[in-house]
Amino acid sequence: MGATDRPILLSARSVSRSYRLGAGLVPAIRDVSLEVRAGEFVAIQGPSGSGKTTLLNLLGLLDAPDSGEIRFEEERAAELSENAKSDLRRDRFGFVFQTFNLIPVLSARENVAYPVGLAGKTASERSARAGELLAEVGLADKADVRPDLLSGGQRQRVAIARALANRPAVVFADEPTANLDSKTADEILDLMRALNEESGVAFLFATHDPRVVARARRVVSLHDGRVQSDGVREP
Amino acid sequence: MGTVVAFGFAAFALAGGFIAQSFEGLKEGTIRSIGHLQIVDRRAVKQTEEATLEFGLKDAGRARAIAAADPDVEAVLPRIEFVGLATNGTKSVPYLGLGVDPGPEAAATLARELVAAGKYLSGGDGEDVVLGTGLASALGAKTGDRITLMATTPDGSLNAVDAVVSGLVDVRIKELNDRYLAAGIGLVSRLVETSETVSKLVVFLRRGADEKKAAARLERSLSAAGFPIAVRHWEDLAAFYGQVKLLYIGIFGFVGAVLVVIVILSAAIVMTMSVTERTREIGTLRAIGTRPSRVQAMFLAEGAVLALAGCVAGALVALVIRAILNASGIILPPPPGATHGLPINVKFYPLAYAAGIAAMVGTMLVASWFPARRASRIPIVEALTHV
Repeated sequence: MGATDRPILLSARSVSRSYRLGAGLVPAIRDVSLEVRAGEFVAIQGPSGSGKTTLLNLLGLLDAPDSGEIRFEEERAAELSENAKSDLRRDRFGFVFQTFNLIPVLSARENVAYPVGLAGKTASERSARAGELLAEVGLADKADVRPDLLSGGQRQRVAIARALANRPAVVFADEPTANLDSKTADEILDLMRALNEESGVAFLFATHDPRVVARARRVVSLHDGRVQSDGVREP
Repeated sequence: MGTVVAFGFAAFALAGGFIAQSFEGLKEGTIRSIGHLQIVDRRAVKQTEEATLEFGLKDAGRARAIAAADPDVEAVLPRIEFVGLATNGTKSVPYLGLGVDPGPEAAATLARELVAAGKYLSGGDGEDVVLGTGLASALGAKTGDRITLMATTPDGSLNAVDAVVSGLVDVRIKELNDRYLAAGIGLVSRLVETSETVSKLVVFLRRGADEKKAAARLERSLSAAGFPIAVRHWEDLAAFYGQVKLLYIGIFGFVGAVLVVIVILSAAIVMTMSVTERTREIGTLRAIGTRPSRVQAMFLAEGAVLALAGCVAGALVALVIRAILNASGIILPPPPGATHGLPINVKFYPLAYAAGIAAMVGTMLVASWFPARRASRIPIVEALTHV
């Protein structure tokens, strides 16, 4: 199946978002329209302040646009309640952050198991799923270690495992390599790419890291909150 | 935070134990003095006697026997209340007299324990009297001294009998101690020239007996036997007990309220700080699908767990302090109207511990509510970028 034959997962239609700064409003995203299909590996790139993170947050239903419309699988985000959006993020989305954002008092296994628990699974199911994912990201032996005793790369692997916990349709990764050295960044990107290829989960990156851009199959460039280019690369 | 809860709980538990001990002591002392129930002539309930035994209970021996036959009754004590003058020949002092049946009276009440010098009344129709130490002092009397008692008879004439001071008693209410005189009912009957008439019958019930039911039963059986009586419950007679109880409840209620306010303020500050420090964590939890209500519940649960842990620590602190206080031998100042202080004795009172847990958990939930609500409402993007 070609990329354009796959169903549309996410769409942004004429989306704008501004933030208040002092007395004025600063536009972060202006009239952006975008579609993300199942299984895509997309990099949203652009200089600092171009609106990458804002767009990612809007698509990930972490924020709401001032105007325009966000849809997930044809469902309008504006019509969803706060609980429904939470449930959608829990079941269909995964998130990877620049600073990993693991819960410091929980072990790697517990961090990964947390979203599984939110979905109502039993303790044994949670533990089994977490173990399986940690093995998949190469951290089976670190399952009972707390985040503060893990390296940056290991923490990001735990975060990736957590993002995949409930078998999401799409993973949003905001500058996932920014806090990693280049070797670790390469490993993490290879891992994400492999997960994308093996499980079909879509990845959507906000990044200005050329290594991410180089691995992406589609690159959306933003400038001053507008889409400057949106190109698909041939494998 | 745990420390504030622990000490708040300990204060609750200790104060509760102390109050319970005080109430129980006061109740026990009151009942040992006035009995569980009192059987009186119906007229005595609403009217005050103008002459000795004007509203006395006639045929008291038969009434006593009927009352004593009740299965819940342990003892029935006849009492004659009268007033008069005691004189040693040179000095006369007014007294409040009490005619008693010495043996049963000593067995059922604190009478013998109050003896400060000499001995309590002996049985029979002897001439023994015991005086409150205040009265004895005013009269300049000591044990073994002969005194003369004067009183009016029911028909209003003045009568006198000789008596021997067998002992001095320390009645713990000062005003009463200065006027207290007790004598055997035989001597008092001679003094007030009466027979088979008493002011009241004081009833002591067996442990665990239902006081209200026993009162109703006695009223029925004595009324059926032709006695125009009323049965009065000790709580209706012991105004002092009720007043002291209210005073204690007021004092400790106020202290408890201050404690609750301190815990609420401390907890609210700590929980607000916790929410602020963990804003990014809250943002992460929300981002990965935690519902706002669950975030709120997490902080409330944290408050409750903190309260429970504080209560456990507080219970240990309370038990240690209690042991130290009870072993210290500290004598508390006399309560209102009493002449003697009592050694401090903080009781282990499970209800105070349960109330302490409820108060601390409730307080922490109240204190956590607003920070928890705030945590659940922080915009996710704002929380994720919080520094």
